[in-house]
Amino acid sequence: MTSSASFRQASTALVFLGPACAFLLAMLVAPILVDLVVAFTDMSQTVKIDNFTTEQFRKLVRPSEEAWLGFELRGSFYRALSLTVVFVFLTLSIFNITFGLILALTTTALPDKLGAFFRAVWLLPRMAPSVVYGLLWIWVIDPTERGLLNQILVNVFGMAPVNMILHHPMTVIVMANGFIGASIGMLILTSAIRSIPQHLFFAARADGAGSLSVIRHVVLPALRWPLSYITVFQTLALLVSFEYIFLIMGPSRSTMTMAMLAYTKTLAPQIGSGQYAYGAAITLILIVIGMGTALLLWRLTNMKTLLAKPRIEVH
Amino acid sequence: MASLDSIDWDGLAARSRREKRRRNGLIITFLGLISIPIILPFFWAIVISFSARTGGVESDVLWRACAVLVPCALAYAVIHSLLTGLRHRAIAGIALTAVAGVGLFILIGEELHLDNYRFLVNPNLIEDIRGAATAGGQFPWVWEAFGNSLLVAATSTAMKVTVATLAGYYISRFAFRGRSVFLQSLLILEVFHPWMLTIPIFLVIFWIGLLNTLSGPILVLTAIDLPFYIFIMKGFFDAVPWDIEMSAMTDGASRRQAFWMVVLPQARAGIIAIAVLAFIKGWEEYIFVTALRTGNSYWVMSTYLYYVAEDVMGVDYGLVAAVSVFYMMPSLLLYLFLQKYLTQLTLGGVKG
Repeated sequence: MTSSASFRQASTALVFLGPACAFLLAMLVAPILVDLVVAFTDMSQTVKIDNFTTEQFRKLVRPSEEAWLGFELRGSFYRALSLTVVFVFLTLSIFNITFGLILALTTTALPDKLGAFFRAVWLLPRMAPSVVYGLLWIWVIDPTERGLLNQILVNVFGMAPVNMILHHPMTVIVMANGFIGASIGMLILTSAIRSIPQHLFFAARADGAGSLSVIRHVVLPALRWPLSYITVFQTLALLVSFEYIFLIMGPSRSTMTMAMLAYTKTLAPQIGSGQYAYGAAITLILIVIGMGTALLLWRLTNMKTLLAKPRIEVH
Repeated sequence: MASLDSIDWDGLAARSRREKRRRNGLIITFLGLISIPIILPFFWAIVISFSARTGGVESDVLWRACAVLVPCALAYAVIHSLLTGLRHRAIAGIALTAVAGVGLFILIGEELHLDNYRFLVNPNLIEDIRGAATAGGQFPWVWEAFGNSLLVAATSTAMKVTVATLAGYYISRFAFRGRSVFLQSLLILEVFHPWMLTIPIFLVIFWIGLLNTLSGPILVLTAIDLPFYIFIMKGFFDAVPWDIEMSAMTDGASRRQAFWMVVLPQARAGIIAIAVLAFIKGWEEYIFVTALRTGNSYWVMSTYLYYVAEDVMGVDYGLVAAVSVFYMMPSLLLYLFLQKYLTQLTLGGVKG
């Protein structure tokens, strides 16, 4: 290879791949490394590193003789962790997966235009700006009799007004995130159902299968990988998401999940107290979980197709 | 065994059509019912923005509007399933729209007004509402926030689309050393959403001195879901046949010319799709605008609405609703007109 050819090759790589590498390194890789360091410091409002310590992690766990693994979780962190688990599990199982699946199955069973209409409706919360969406939730669950929910409860069902924020905070954030999460499952599963060859449906019908057995024996087997993909990806997305929780509930203790805890202790407008190292320590735990997820994702990815070699060799 | 002639084929076909209609009816009813919690609040916000007077939030008008619209929608559904001709359906649709229009005019016509949208022409509205306490203008005119939001969304979209398209093309078409390592690290990076890294990203932006600027959020927005977008574009380029590119090069085009003039137009649908997603993301951004302290010096639509809601919520619901409707219109219009491109998105590399 001549040197001018290899120069052209390098410059092409730089032009095409350079910008992506720069952004990924600066905005994803560098922050991960920064977090790794800052989590072991005492950085606070002054944004200076004075000395290295494991103090942040001792705020999360305390050594204990009896406990499993030799340490136990501290109160506030234990609370955040259990709220996170409940929040992620309920949202994922009820909305992102079950509802996503139901929406995909029903909308694909309808004529194309009608199906597309209902899918568009369910994408509405995702497409609307987050602040608007949060505001609508606040209005709907307004604890007075003006709130839309209470009007329906009082006038249609004859029940007493409910204060959702006070009495059912978890329901609020599960539903608010779920209405948005269901649409991703819906889209992915819809395209998966569409890609099932039509002749399989005809064959099943000809063999006398009803709608339910078609779903059970033709559709669901084809959705195995997309469903695992949604589960893995959405678990992680819910684990780290705090935007809607913050916009609807504010820094309420009743919905302080791990991501919320890190955010309110550091950067949240007006209430964040700049405990960057503490937030970084919580973030580090999320990063470790993310790494685990990435390994799982590895198994779900069809590496052979992904890594298939390109065929043209001209630069 | 019955001979083929003795089977009533028409009867069977009719029964199957009835079955299908009944099943579709059930599904539509079900979907309609579960969609109410989504449609109603958005519709409510629009109704409030056009009808609320100063004071508390009213839903009276909403129920009256629903009393007209729901029967009309149901009637149209019935007519639609009974009539099969396209022309009949169109006529019924027009007639029912007219009925709904007249009904709405009679029931709520007097309540409707554009007063809540006066924030579009009055630069000092919020201060006027809240009295002289903040005279001097704590809030800017809404168009300033609109312009900043547009700038953030458009710039980040342009950068994201450029970066993802270039990288997607390169990993789709070029064999280079470290290609598999690059693809696998991209797969790992896909799981790190910037929300997870809010705090270290804040520190990085602080150290490069971009806090308090619009550039900070633009850079972060460009990186949000970037691996995902690169994979989408790789998928679109993988679908473009090799022969097109090869014949362009046989005709004397260089590799870059072939990319620019031949391959890129083929991936147009993918580019539009990711551009729409990226714009909607940039338009709604709230977390990084506040976390990177941009809000201290610049207003964008998300912070504008957030603080308007905080400040005049008890006083003037109509205004807050009007700002919300104004804020979500660009996203929704873009989504409505370009959604056919969004449905073409598939996931790169997932086992199928």
